[in-house]
Amino acid sequence: MATILETAAAAGCFNTLLAAVDAAGLRGALEGPGPFTVLAPVDDAFAALPPGTVQTLVDNPPQLARILKYHVIAGAHNREALCAQSDWASLEGAPIPIRSTDPFEVKNATVVNADVVCDNGVVHVINRVILPG
Amino acid sequence: MTLLLLLLIPLGAGLLLTVLPEGRPPLIRAGAAAAAIAQLALGVLAWRQPPAAFTLSWLPRLGLSLELGLDGLSLPLVLLTALLTALAVLASPADQGRPRLYFALMLATNLGVVGAFLARNALLFVLAFELVLIPTTLLVAIWGGERRAAAAVRFLLFGAVSGLSLLAGVLAFGWFGQGAAGSGSAVDFSYGALAATPLPASAQLWVLALLVLGFGIKLPVVPLHGWQPISYAEAPPPVVMLLGGVVSKLGAYGLLRFGVELLPDAWLAFSPWIAAAGAVSAVYGALNAIAATDIRRLMAYSSLGHMGLLVLALAAATPLSLQGAVAQVLAHGLIVALLFACVGLIQRKTGTTVIAELSGLMNPIRGLPFTMGLMLLALMAAAGIPGLAGFPAELMVFEGSWTVFPRATLICLVASGFTAVYAVRLFNRVGFGRLDNSRADWQSTRWGERFPALALTLLVVLAGIWPSGLTGWSELSTAAIALRHSDPVVQQLALLPPSASSSLPA
Amino acid sequence: MTTTTPAAGTRTPLIPPSMHRYAEVIHRLEAGGSMLPDTPENLQQIIGIYKAYAVPMDFYWRDLLYIAEQVFLNPLPAFKYFISQEYLDRPNSYAGDQSQLRIWRGTEKAHPELLAFMERGETGRMPKLLHHLWHDRVNMEFAEACMRAMLWHQGMGGRFNDYLESDAYRANADRAIKAYFKGNPLMLGLHALFPEMFLEQVKQLSYTANLGLFWEVMAPVFFEMSDLYDEGKLTSVPQAMDFLVNGIFAVAGRPIYHHVFIRGECFEIIPKSEGFTWLYEAALPYVEAVFYRTSPFRGTKSYNAQAGQVPADQADFHYGILYADVFPVGSAGIPPTLLMQDMLHFLPPYLQEMYKTHKRGEEDQLVQLGITFQRSMYNVTSAVIQALRCALLYPLDDPDPKHRLANRQFFEAQMDRFLRPEARLADIQSQDYR
Repeated sequence: MATILETAAAAGCFNTLLAAVDAAGLRGALEGPGPFTVLAPVDDAFAALPPGTVQTLVDNPPQLARILKYHVIAGAHNREALCAQSDWASLEGAPIPIRSTDPFEVKNATVVNADVVCDNGVVHVINRVILPG
Repeated sequence: MTLLLLLLIPLGAGLLLTVLPEGRPPLIRAGAAAAAIAQLALGVLAWRQPPAAFTLSWLPRLGLSLELGLDGLSLPLVLLTALLTALAVLASPADQGRPRLYFALMLATNLGVVGAFLARNALLFVLAFELVLIPTTLLVAIWGGERRAAAAVRFLLFGAVSGLSLLAGVLAFGWFGQGAAGSGSAVDFSYGALAATPLPASAQLWVLALLVLGFGIKLPVVPLHGWQPISYAEAPPPVVMLLGGVVSKLGAYGLLRFGVELLPDAWLAFSPWIAAAGAVSAVYGALNAIAATDIRRLMAYSSLGHMGLLVLALAAATPLSLQGAVAQVLAHGLIVALLFACVGLIQRKTGTTVIAELSGLMNPIRGLPFTMGLMLLALMAAAGIPGLAGFPAELMVFEGSWTVFPRATLICLVASGFTAVYAVRLFNRVGFGRLDNSRADWQSTRWGERFPALALTLLVVLAGIWPSGLTGWSELSTAAIALRHSDPVVQQLALLPPSASSSLPA
Repeated sequence: MTTTTPAAGTRTPLIPPSMHRYAEVIHRLEAGGSMLPDTPENLQQIIGIYKAYAVPMDFYWRDLLYIAEQVFLNPLPAFKYFISQEYLDRPNSYAGDQSQLRIWRGTEKAHPELLAFMERGETGRMPKLLHHLWHDRVNMEFAEACMRAMLWHQGMGGRFNDYLESDAYRANADRAIKAYFKGNPLMLGLHALFPEMFLEQVKQLSYTANLGLFWEVMAPVFFEMSDLYDEGKLTSVPQAMDFLVNGIFAVAGRPIYHHVFIRGECFEIIPKSEGFTWLYEAALPYVEAVFYRTSPFRGTKSYNAQAGQVPADQADFHYGILYADVFPVGSAGIPPTLLMQDMLHFLPPYLQEMYKTHKRGEEDQLVQLGITFQRSMYNVTSAVIQALRCALLYPLDDPDPKHRLANRQFFEAQMDRFLRPEARLADIQSQDYR
């Protein structure tokens, strides 16, 4: 199997996410042993944000890192494990609520593709960028 | 001639106004104001160059002749009348409804009151007194507030009783006096003739009772005051300036002239009761003012309270108290006119005078700060704060009455303290506090609208710092008609029967 | 009223109508609108007042940064409002040619109207000191009062306040304090005796920097809105609100930091690497502290706990512009008179005309513009609410009824804050509220 980032690169719909990870300097961390649970927004999710949002974040790595860390949970949790708890602590510190188990919804995003297992964790594909608060 | 002119000006102007073309209210108002100001100027002239008495034989068979004269008592009252008429006219809105009738009725009121003050003949006085009733009733009935019909009916009824009582009293005075003395000729009702023939004691009491009833309704005094609060509350404020400032003074003048001057013995006999009525009036007026929910009613009761003080001073009839009475007449006339001028502005701008609906009017940007400032001064003057007109008047009233009726004076003193209570409460509620922005839709007052209140304020302040302005006119006259000595010791001595040792050895 | 979702109204609604007291407003928000009704006059009022607000704001943000970065711990800062030319020329990151994310097409330096006012004021050309003493200047005290409101209310979300308590901040501040007072044994001695004292001052200055960086963004946003309106490109209140929402998102990631320059050397008291964002650490706390809470006008309420006049819970404070009684002697917290007087100097001509023809004309312009300002801040709050909804919840045209209900609950919770009698939400629905 591939690492999380390799899997994402292969999928072809995570270009913005990967560019953001690079800009935030988190590549090294996400290549590590982990394990991580990553909620990965597709490119359309980033495009849906109002213009300039992503650009400002990309220009400011610490701030971008914060937003990206909000999409990562420590440990590898599949869908069932995630649904067992009402919310999870993200790496950024703010909690991520599990709003619905069927359909599987994490905060205000719907998981379009759950349980993509990788070497160093699990990836769940989400259709919106989630933000703390 | 001057005296006749003083009467012809309002008469002529009033008649002229009714025939002016319709549709120019500001012009008609200006005309009425000009007439009143001309009368005032003539009055000032009469002050500087006292005119001779004017006599014109009219109906000798009835004893009614046009005898006019000015003395120390009537001169300030005539000036006050002319001044307040002018200011009441100017305080009326420029777009007054039915202006020709309105201003003509105001001038007719002026004619009656000035005629009463100038009269030196009792029947002429009664005629002028009666003349005042109809214009004032019409002013209340046509241009009044929501309950004007009820107010006008009461006003008319009480006024009619007052007039009838007065007529009866005067006629009795003449018939029982001169008629009983027996001379085939018709009774002469001139003041001189009436004074020359004293009545028997019992007759005096009856005559005075009728006169006190008549004048007591006019002032008014508790318990004859039933018409006053509703009339003051329903009549348009400029009309109340006339009613409270001028017409009510007819009652005071009448009591002074007829009671104190022409019927002294009966007056002395009645005076304890009259003093008591005054004290009751003062307290009743003050307490009702504290409880009032409408500004105009509050001021009506305040006026009632002040008339109580006036009546006390008249009852005491010492030189100082009579000076105080005249001072109170002038001061109160100015103050009540100022109060109602301010209330008139408030009503015109905000549309209401209910205390619960008003608040925060002192607000400098969207309130009525100028008007409220003047009203504060007026309330202070009504409360008797030194430096304003009310203080010297009340001081003389209390000092003058204290030696004769200490308990009544004490009660009136307490009531005077109550005026501060309702003045502060009123100003707190209406002036301070939050202005309700959703209601504050009015424009600020303009200088033309402020003028009457401003003029009255200047006079109130002037009278406060120069009290001779209130008393100087009448000092001699009041001293001449005083019935009791101011000094209690001399009074006691005067009342003691002469003892053998008190007379000097021959 | 216009809505921005064209298909609405032709199909049956997915969720039943709201039963809230402000149901009409909630439905308008759900249709993409603002709390302020969409009328041409409302639009004219708010755009005009945005422009009038932005000119003094241009001074506020520059001077706030000047105070936070240059004046720093000056014990007698008598000249803190005498901004240096460097800060007047400091390029706004969101305006001018040099900007990476250009919001306003105008200049990056101080607005020309501001410079003209600083030159003349209301009186005339005088030395700056005389202008200052005569108080014929921009009322910077208002900005400082806003800062103090944010400082006092503290925990309103975001990480900023927690960081100010942390050891890293303490260490940074300590270094800066010692550097600033180098060679001053009196001050250093005081610092040794009372370490918390200067630290507290530095915290206050950090909030000053926070507010300055916040307003650095808002000024070009408002200027651009005014320009778009003048060009005829902004035609409705929801459009104006959308511009604000987009602006909020575009700048959401902007770093919030506090750098101090002591004798030319830069001390990073709050470095950018801490990751503080404009949205979470500046904008949301500002809205909460200044629009909703602030504090009662000095002297109008007793802070005595036994008197029970101010709410026991700080979150219940309701003295901000959204609850304000706009009379100058009214009850809003941050002295509204100061800001109103500032805005009076920069009103666009169409607003001056409007005020002349209503109420008392020129006599009560201050109150009229104050109420206009209140309307405009309701619009800004609506933008913040819509931005939060967009960030944390679901799109307005989401087909899932459960999602719509979640949106509805969010809006209703926001409207619950306006249920108290002091709220002006009901008043601004009518055009007669002036």
